[in-house]
Order: sequence, then C-alpha cells, then structure tokens
Amino acid sequence: MKLKTILIFAPLVVSVILVQSYFWVPSYEVQTVGNPTRVEKFINSSIGDAKILNPIIAADGASSDITTLVFEGLLDLDENLNLRGRLATEWQVTEKAYLVVVPGASFADGSAVTAITLEQRLRQAIASGLVPGLKDQLLDLRRIAAEERVQDVSLPGEKGEVQTVRVRLHLPARIQISLKEVDQDLFKKLATVIGPKYADSAPYGRWIEVEPANMREAVKPQFSQLVPVFEHNPIIEFKLRQGVRFHDGHEFDAGDVKFTYDAIMNPKNLSPRTSDFEPIKRIEISDPYTIKVVYKRLFSPAINAWMMGIIPEHLLNDAALKKEMDRRNISAELRETFAMRESEFSRNPVGVGPYQFVEWQSDEMIHLQRNEDYWEGAPQYKDYYYRIIPDKLTQEVEFRSGAVDRYSARPHQIARYKKDTRYQSFSSLGFGYTYIGYNNRLPLFKDPRLRKALGMAIDVKEIIKYILYDEAERVTGPYPKNTQWYDQSIPPLPYDPAGAIKLLNELGWKKNADGWLEKDGKLLEFNLLTNNGNPIRKAVVTIAQNAWKKIGVKCNTQLFEWAVFLQDFINPGKFDAVVLGWSLSQDPDLFQLWHSSEAGPQKLNFVGYNSPQADELIVRIRKEYNVDKQRELTHRLHRQIANDQPYTFLFAPRVTELLDKKIVMMEKDGSYSKIKPSKSGRIYYSFNKWKKLEHAPEF
Amino acid sequence: MWPYILRNLLQRLVLLFIVSVIAHGVVHLAPGEPTEVDPSNPRMKPEDIVKIRKAFHLDEPLHLQYAYWMRDLFSGELKSFKDSQPVLPKIWDRFLNSLPLFILATIIIWTLSFPTGIHAAVRRGSVYDRSTTFIAYTLISVPGFFLSYLAILWVVSVLGVPVIGMRTFGMEDALPLFRGMDRLWHLVVPSLMTALGGIAVLSRYVRSQMLEVIGQDYVRTARAKGLPEDQVIYRHALRNALLPFVTMFGFLLPGLIGGSVIFEQIFAWPGLGRLGYDAILSRDFPVILTINFIAAALTLAGTFMSDLLYAAVDPRIRLH
Repeated sequence: MKLKTILIFAPLVVSVILVQSYFWVPSYEVQTVGNPTRVEKFINSSIGDAKILNPIIAADGASSDITTLVFEGLLDLDENLNLRGRLATEWQVTEKAYLVVVPGASFADGSAVTAITLEQRLRQAIASGLVPGLKDQLLDLRRIAAEERVQDVSLPGEKGEVQTVRVRLHLPARIQISLKEVDQDLFKKLATVIGPKYADSAPYGRWIEVEPANMREAVKPQFSQLVPVFEHNPIIEFKLRQGVRFHDGHEFDAGDVKFTYDAIMNPKNLSPRTSDFEPIKRIEISDPYTIKVVYKRLFSPAINAWMMGIIPEHLLNDAALKKEMDRRNISAELRETFAMRESEFSRNPVGVGPYQFVEWQSDEMIHLQRNEDYWEGAPQYKDYYYRIIPDKLTQEVEFRSGAVDRYSARPHQIARYKKDTRYQSFSSLGFGYTYIGYNNRLPLFKDPRLRKALGMAIDVKEIIKYILYDEAERVTGPYPKNTQWYDQSIPPLPYDPAGAIKLLNELGWKKNADGWLEKDGKLLEFNLLTNNGNPIRKAVVTIAQNAWKKIGVKCNTQLFEWAVFLQDFINPGKFDAVVLGWSLSQDPDLFQLWHSSEAGPQKLNFVGYNSPQADELIVRIRKEYNVDKQRELTHRLHRQIANDQPYTFLFAPRVTELLDKKIVMMEKDGSYSKIKPSKSGRIYYSFNKWKKLEHAPEF
Repeated sequence: MWPYILRNLLQRLVLLFIVSVIAHGVVHLAPGEPTEVDPSNPRMKPEDIVKIRKAFHLDEPLHLQYAYWMRDLFSGELKSFKDSQPVLPKIWDRFLNSLPLFILATIIIWTLSFPTGIHAAVRRGSVYDRSTTFIAYTLISVPGFFLSYLAILWVVSVLGVPVIGMRTFGMEDALPLFRGMDRLWHLVVPSLMTALGGIAVLSRYVRSQMLEVIGQDYVRTARAKGLPEDQVIYRHALRNALLPFVTMFGFLLPGLIGGSVIFEQIFAWPGLGRLGYDAILSRDFPVILTINFIAAALTLAGTFMSDLLYAAVDPRIRLH
C-alpha cells in the first residue's frame, strides 16, 4: 500500500534529516576553548533589546548600555562618583548675577536708588569688606542698560494641558556682578547695602506686557520669575579635548556639543531629556575647543546632564537629514515630521566612544567593534556582542556553557556561585532601595511617632536574611547608600515590638478585647498595597502584615497590576500604605521625591511628605555648587527624613555579577591584575582594560 | 458558487472592520500608556509629554486615532512608537523568522500524528493504544515551557551543543553548508517543543475519527468483500476519516502570525510572538493593532478557505 508506506516513511525521513543536523553544529567546547578568537570577544547578554541607539532620544536601559560604549559625553563619573572629564579636559564654574535697579526703592539712609548710586555703593561695600567674603570672589561689577525682550510662557491648563502665551518684557537697568564661584547667598549678603525689603517695591506690572491682554491674570503668578529682581546665572566653561575623531573620521569640536544641545531642545526630535537641559539659557562657542554654558538659575545638578553622549553634527544636521530623505524617497507629507527619530542613524550610530557600531539584528544581538582611534587608547577587547536572551534561565545556561561572559546572579544562586572556582563574583550595592510608604496626609499617619512605631515592629534583618538571602543592606534614609550623600552614622530603627506597643499606648491606642489596638472606638487598621509581579515586595507585604498583627495593628493587603496600581492608587494619592522601591542616581537633588510642592497628583512625593525644614534643605542642596557644603546639607536632610519616618526604610538590594575567572584587568605594559570594582561598586568602570586570558590566572 | 464566494467575502470584510474597531477600542481601554509618554524619568516635564502625545496623535479622540491608524496602515507609513521605524517591514522581518519554526512544527505534527493515531485506532485497546493515550495526555497536561527547560538542560549538558537562538553564536565565518545545517539544528528543539502539544492533540483526533469510520457499514462491507485489511483501512476508512482534517488546514493560517510567545521567549527566538509581546508590554499601539489586524484577516481567510476546501473534497456539500 503506497499510502501506508508514505505514512510510515515520512516521519522517519523527517526525523533523520533533523537529527543529522546535530552533527554539523560546533560544540560549546569547540566554540569556547578551541577557538583562539573567542578570548578577544566580550559577550554580554540582556533580557530586552535596545530601542533606539541615539543617546538624545533613548530612555531605556538596553539602549543606554550600547550608547555609553558608542558615544561619549563631556563628563562622566570617576571611581568615587565624582565628575571626571572625558570629551572635556577641564571645566570651571563661575557666576554672573544680576540685580535689577528698582525704581522708587531707597537705601537704608533714605536716598533714592539709581543705577549709578547702586553700582557705586555696591562697589564700595564689597571693596571695604562691609559685605563679607565677596572681595576675593568679585571679578567684575558693571551697569547694564534697560532692554526689551519677547518670551513665550507656558501655563498649565486644565487636565494637564499646556498653553503658551507670548509676553513682552521691558527689562529695567541692572547691575551685573561676576563672581569666581557660585554663591547662592549673594543677595542675602548684599542686603546690608540694599536693605532686606528691596524687592518689595518692584513694579512688575510696568515691566511686563502680555499678549493677548486677557491672559494677564493667568500669567501674573509668574511675574516675579519673568523679571527677577535677583537673578543668578551660573556659567560653566568647558575646555574640549582636541584631536578626537568620530568613528567616521570627522573631527569632534564645540559645534557638535552645541548641536547636541540644540537637537535635544528641538521639539521635532521629541527628546525625553529636554528637562535636563532646560535650565540652560544659552551656549556660546568661544573657539572650536572652548564652550560656555550659561544657566538661567541656580541648579547644581544641571552639570550632570553633560554626561550624555555627544552626537555628530555633520551626520544629523538639516542638510544631512535632507539628503537622507531624498535617498529614501520620503513622501512630502512625512518630510514635515521627519526628524532624528526617523533617521537611519538611530539604527546605525556613529559616536566617539571606545566601541564603534557594526551590526544590529533586532531581538537577536548587537555587535560593536573596538575603536582603534579611541583617544584614551583602544580597549583590550576587539569585539563586543550584546545578545538578547529574554529568559533568565537560558541566560544562565549560556553563561555556564561559556557562550556569554557575564551573568548577574539572582539572590538564591549567589552562595552557590561564590563557591564555584570557575567564576569570579562581584557584589555591589546599586542606587536603589525598598521601603514602606505611608500616606502622610491621612490623619491616621500624621504623627511621626506612629510611623516610627510601625517601623519598629518589623524585623528588617529577618527580611534581608530569609527573602534576600543576605544579599541586601539595611538603609536608613533617602539617598543611595553607596553615595557620599548618605550619612552612614545614622542608626537604623531598632527592632523592638515592645517599644512599638509602648509608643502606641502613649498615643492613646489601647488593646481591646480581641487583641487589636483601638482608639475612640476605632481600630488601628489600614490597607497595605503593592504591585503584582514582584515576589520580593509581595513577601515584604506578608511579613509586615504578620509583624503588625503581633502588636495588634490590623493590616489588609492587596496586589494590583502595575498600571492599575499607579492609575488608581498612587497617582490620585488614594492609598494607606504601599511597599515600593526607588532607583536613584548619584544626584543629591531629591526635590521631586520629597519637596512638599511635589505632593500633588501624578507627582513623585505621593506619600505627601511635608516638612518645612526638609523643604529648605532640599532647595539649598540644589542651589549649592560646592560639593563639601552639599554633603553637609544632604546629611542634614537624611537625618531630618530619618527622624520623620515618612517611609519605613527597609533595604538596598545588592547586585552580584559573575564573570569568567579568565577575565583580568590588563595594563598597557602587559602586566595584569584581578578586576577591581570602583569604590562605589561599579565593576564595568575599568571595562576598557579587561582582557580574557587563555587560562585562568593565579593571584 | 461564485455568488456564495462574493457574498462571503463581503461579509468577512465587514466583520474584519468590526474586529479592528473593537480591537482598537480594547487596546486603548487597557490601563497604562505607551512608555514614551509614561516615562520612568521623573525629570520629564508635562509640556514635553504633551508634545510627544501630540506627535503620536494620542491627544485626539479615539475615532480619529482609528482613522489615522487606518490611513497610515494602508499608505504603508505607519510607524512604531518605540523607535519610529515603519511597522510593516518590521512585522515582515519577524514573520520571516517565525515562518521556519511554524513550518517545521507543522510538518512534525502532521507527519507524526497520523501514523500514531491510525495505529492506535486499528489496535484499539492494545498496550500500544493505552500507552500512546497515556503519553498524549501527559504531553497535553505538562506545560510546554517546563519540557523546554528540561530539553535545553539535557541538550546542553549531555550533547554539549548550543540550542538557543536562530544560529550558533560566532558562526559567521563558517561554510554555507555548515551554517545551513546549524540553522536547521537550532530549529529542531524549539519546533519539536512547539509540536509536542500539537502531536498529542492531533493524534487523539485521528484516533477517534478513525474509530468512528471503522465502525461504519461500508467498512464492514469492504471487509466482507474480502479486501486485504490494509486496503480497507487506508483506502476506504482513512479517506473518509480525513475529511474533517481538511478544514483544519484552513485554521493553520492564523497560526502563521501568532508565533509562540512562550517558546520564542525561552529559546531567544527573534520572532513575531516576541515582537507582539514586547509591543503589548510597552503599549506600542501601532504594532499591537497591526499584528492583531493581520491575524484577524488571516483567521477570516482561513475559515473561508476551509469552507471552500470542504466543498471541494466532500461531494455531499454544495455552496450556494
């Protein structure tokens, strides 16, 4: 029977064809040991693919993994998390401050303020030392004549919409004061000359015209910002590295820096980073290797924005984009909106970084090759591969068989891998921490003593030991523990359930017949929420519920899908308590997380923390340019928040990276040493020096 | 015949339109917004977000958004939110990656299910029949991803060769023949894993269909005529038992676009399933909607085709 034969032989033939393919495939052995070029490749793996390889548009982790290798910024962080020059060789922060000559104001002795007298008196006071500490700082002091300016103002409308209004400013005469260093208290100091109430008589109405006139009332709250009587303009002057070339051979200069800024601010490019560069007033190119950035106001974290990769002007300017549109035959309608996002550059980037782009196969891998012309000397690894392996388990399989060079172990695997002699492991604290946040607006949680009592009832040590397998550290405050902003001397809340009950008794909560705490006939009861899909947070919720039950606090728990969690509970502020985490940066500015003005709906101070002392510290920190003073302020802020306990700060998880033992740090003279992570725990800090040896070295 | 085809096509077009409207509504109803306008970067200002929403037409009412989507889809200018790349070429590339997996899995399912199913039906109640039943139910009830993990661990530790991805990493310089065989090998394990569930189900179908047909009068007649057993089974019984499977061919069509999220995820296969899954996670509406639209179109085309096929093979059925 023919049909029968076919039915029997077809599966046989298929199986034979499939099975024989096995014999053609190189084994892991051949790939990793018997392949001399393998040691020159570094193979990384990632859960997700990059989105877009243009540093001014990309916002996801995978894209920035690649763009930090292909592009380079003016600055980056050194091993102690301080700024270090990359494309900038040096930078200097100075200040120009402006004082408006307020007509009708008078000096302490009663004489009227005019531009000339104001200039004279200031000059005298500074020179004579009447104003303390300014004599050495002063570079220049001069009068500036009145001028006109037109400006757009954006107004928050209803339902989050934004409206733009044009205003005409009649700027009065001003005094310009140039200082060697930024001094946020300059005008406070000058009060000895101009008196403390100098700004009160400022006639804003005369200086500002609003078109259309019916919008005047809406703009009014912003008048004092439009023509500030006291204005600080910090200035950063960057000296750029000379002779640095993009991967296509074109030389890098100040034009590229300014172009990068302009591209970010260009609304067509829809850059998610505009707010980082928004404080910039203007950028001046003094010569091809000197660039001056003038800022609108005091905002010290603004300098961090210059860690962003610089993009090449010659490949992305209007002329280049037009050429690309012609080549790709873009339709007339699309030309209108065609910008950097649409450009092929985003899938084919060219930068000045240590690695240059070769190939990108979506959801499969990205291949980079070392830049032989890199200004700091070419990296040791010839090739860099970024493999997309979406599953954690297969990632581990590939790592163990040698087809991937690194693996970040999950907490429960770490103890096992530490014993494995084939690998070296590096454990570091990240920039994140997990906490229980209380809705500070609710009458129940208003009293810090109650929040403290709730915190004291939870044994955080136990959480760290049993849920995170000891791969976490206790934290006490709002800053990442590995930064200098964190005050290591602040003790954590003790685990003391008895003390917690005592504290609650003092607050009037007494145990009722059922064992629950009660006050005025109401139980001490609330809901603790967290998002679904995070097993650690879920476990914390359960432990907290149990710990509170032991002291007589009734806590109900619920999990929600992330989007629902944000939309229905966090954004409108409708929750009692939540378990969440922050992932921060080395930035000392915590304005958005803790300032009382950021407690509205959709904002990040969703717990509604409100402390005038903290507010003042937060504002001073973002205006301070001196790192030592900043550190002192952040430590005070840390203490303040630790005292108020708006959160119960729990732990900062440690991340453990595993590498093949054969990877070492190679110096230029050919000697090598064990890989040393930076003090802040970043192991990739010295990545350009890494090299894989043929055999595991002994140290 | 022709009026039937025309009327049916028209009905299906209307249905497709309705499906696309509902899908559009459902996708926008789901909580959460595209990552581009719901960023994790706390520094982003409301003004910037408004700008991006506007560029994506997210500030327009739903029916206008639908119109924009349809216009861009049919002019071929639809762009993904994620990277502003055109959606159709993106889907096409991923489709080409998923296609071999789908074809091989289908071949494995159909070639293996029939012999096992027929054999089980013929030897009803035998040890073979009972053990295949047992195996089939095991395969149906054990989740595919679990078996896949076991298979990967086994291949890697015992055979010592890579199984993940579409090809062995670092084979770019090898001879074309080696590369081709390597690609084939990388297909084997994932397509076998995808096929296991299918084999279990389909062989059960074949078995029950055969059993039903074998009990019919004409089969008894054939046996009574003294025909050899093989001829009775393969000519008289099998042909009639096959009829329902012809319709199943039509239903294969939508499977083309579905891909398999779980298997593509585990085997790091850059296929269509993952594209769709990632798009859903980041609320990349143009990609989600377009994949959904194509899948709906293929489903409708598939059922249409099986109607026609059924009429073609079964003389008892006439289309009016």
